[in-house]
Amino acid sequence: MIEVKELTKRYGNKTAVDRISFSAGAGEILGILGPNGAGKTSTMRMLTGFMPPTDGSATLDGFDIVADSMEVRRRVGYMPERVPLYPDMTVEEYVRFWAKLRGVRRPQKSIEAVLDRVQLLDRRRSLVRSLSKGLKQRLGLAQTLVHNPKVIILDEPTIGIDPQQVIEVRAAVRDLAHNHTVLFSTHILSEAEQVCDRVIILNQGRIVAEGTPAELRQKLYPGDSVFVQIGGVGHAKPEKTLRGINGVKQVQKLAGGYALEAVAGRDIRADVVKRIQQAGWTLLELRPVAVTLEDIFLKIVSREDAEEQAE
Amino acid sequence: MNGVGVIFWREMRGYFTSPYAYLIAAAFLLLAGFFFVSNLWLSVEQTPADPAAIPEFLSFGMIFFAPLLTMRMLAEETREGTMELLLTAPVSDSAIIIGKFLSAWGFYTILLGITASYQIILVNIGAFPDLGKAVAAYIGIWLYGGACLSVGLVYSALTDSQIVAGFLSMATLFLLYLGDNIGLIVADVELARLLRTLTLQGHFSTSFAVGIFRAEDVVFFAGLITAMLFIAIRIVESRRWR
Ligand SMILES: Nc1ncnc2c1ncn2[C@@H]1O[C@H](COP(=O)(O)OP(=O)(O)O)[C@@H](O)[C@H]1O
Ligand SMILES: [Mg+2]
Repeated sequence: MIEVKELTKRYGNKTAVDRISFSAGAGEILGILGPNGAGKTSTMRMLTGFMPPTDGSATLDGFDIVADSMEVRRRVGYMPERVPLYPDMTVEEYVRFWAKLRGVRRPQKSIEAVLDRVQLLDRRRSLVRSLSKGLKQRLGLAQTLVHNPKVIILDEPTIGIDPQQVIEVRAAVRDLAHNHTVLFSTHILSEAEQVCDRVIILNQGRIVAEGTPAELRQKLYPGDSVFVQIGGVGHAKPEKTLRGINGVKQVQKLAGGYALEAVAGRDIRADVVKRIQQAGWTLLELRPVAVTLEDIFLKIVSREDAEEQAE
Repeated sequence: MNGVGVIFWREMRGYFTSPYAYLIAAAFLLLAGFFFVSNLWLSVEQTPADPAAIPEFLSFGMIFFAPLLTMRMLAEETREGTMELLLTAPVSDSAIIIGKFLSAWGFYTILLGITASYQIILVNIGAFPDLGKAVAAYIGIWLYGGACLSVGLVYSALTDSQIVAGFLSMATLFLLYLGDNIGLIVADVELARLLRTLTLQGHFSTSFAVGIFRAEDVVFFAGLITAMLFIAIRIVESRRWR
């Protein structure tokens, strides 16, 4: 549904997006993950037809983003980073305006359906300016969906709203995948993990990793980690002992305990328990540590920085 | 063109639901009424009444009214971020500009139409206006106003601040209005004449306003509108490259 090849965007001599290639299939939720300034917004603005790429190409549903821009725009629903609203319109007028501008014939039915879907039907006569931030966000989503686009592009849709609404928006996005292809950007790593089928990690305009959240975890953190809490250590320093356990690659002291990283594919739990008992300590807690994308991201970025310094 | 109508009606609705637009309309109609009445007083001794009184006032008044009617049109879209959605909707940049321009011109046409109804009073009191002069003056000021609105639209496209847009368009229109006065201080007659043909007044005060209908004046205003819309479209397009 989305095919991106060597897409590049330069502002003056600053390269914001640097020869990125990726694709997304129908019904897939693809996450673009990256810190501020990574090039997420620039990428989305090129795909929506807001601005042309400096180089490279992309197609949406088979239409080229430059040559067939109008066809592409008809098939895209876009929610920019800052939800664009007309404060003086009513909720219904606002959605009707975008429906008509995007060529929806007899829009009334779609308008009601979409307002129902984002639970704004009872507020249809309210002025947009009177809505709370969370409701404005939902109205933005309604505008994105009203012409039933094949591709939905959401630029950091959970920024600046309260936690309850964040959960709602994430659920709404997951829900969209039944009928649409979704491109979803975020700088929150756990969010990408929760919402997306596949994730692209973008840093300084380049793709630094790509895959399902599980694959990324596998690739970058092949070993399972366990967390242990030990009692009765006295003045001894257990790090060295723990590092000596067969199959332990790395030991990290955390508040209240230690994180032990295992070498790939190894279950170290039995050995850890045995060694702690041998040392005469008490094992208070032992549990697996799930690696988050946060860790992955830190690892990639620090590796990149190291490479840069080596150059 | 795809989308022109949708944009046009949204802006029209905007005018009729905004207290701010009603305020402008009230000032417009009040001042036009004032100039109409004062002309009527004059005509007690000095008949007949001049049907071009209102158009003549508007040739000055539009310096202020045109910027007020157009300054927020694009500046506000940029500020609110809706421009990003407009520019990713399946409509061309020209459709957006033309829709907005037609809406401003349409609103002005309605106001002008209301002032035209004042002339009926003249008929009622038996002071039949010179119909030819009235028609020429009204067509003239209609085109004249369209040109002023198109200038306002350019500045609204240029900045995201309506105040700046309004101020710059007033300054520009003022220059276009008073430009022929520069002709008074240059010694060269040919140059003075040329300067006058470049100003709004030069195509109104001695032609339309006195009942003379000249093709060159129509061409001047139509050309000015076309050029200004073209520039506004280019400014919006250039946004994509920024
Ligand atoms: N219009 C612009 N002009 C110049 N530089 C820009 C412009 N937009 C973005 N940039 C720069 O491009 C880089 C990528 O920005 P952006 O795409 O907004 O990233 P993100 O959305 O991931 O935060 C940033 O360094 C930013 O400063
Ligand atoms: Mg961004």
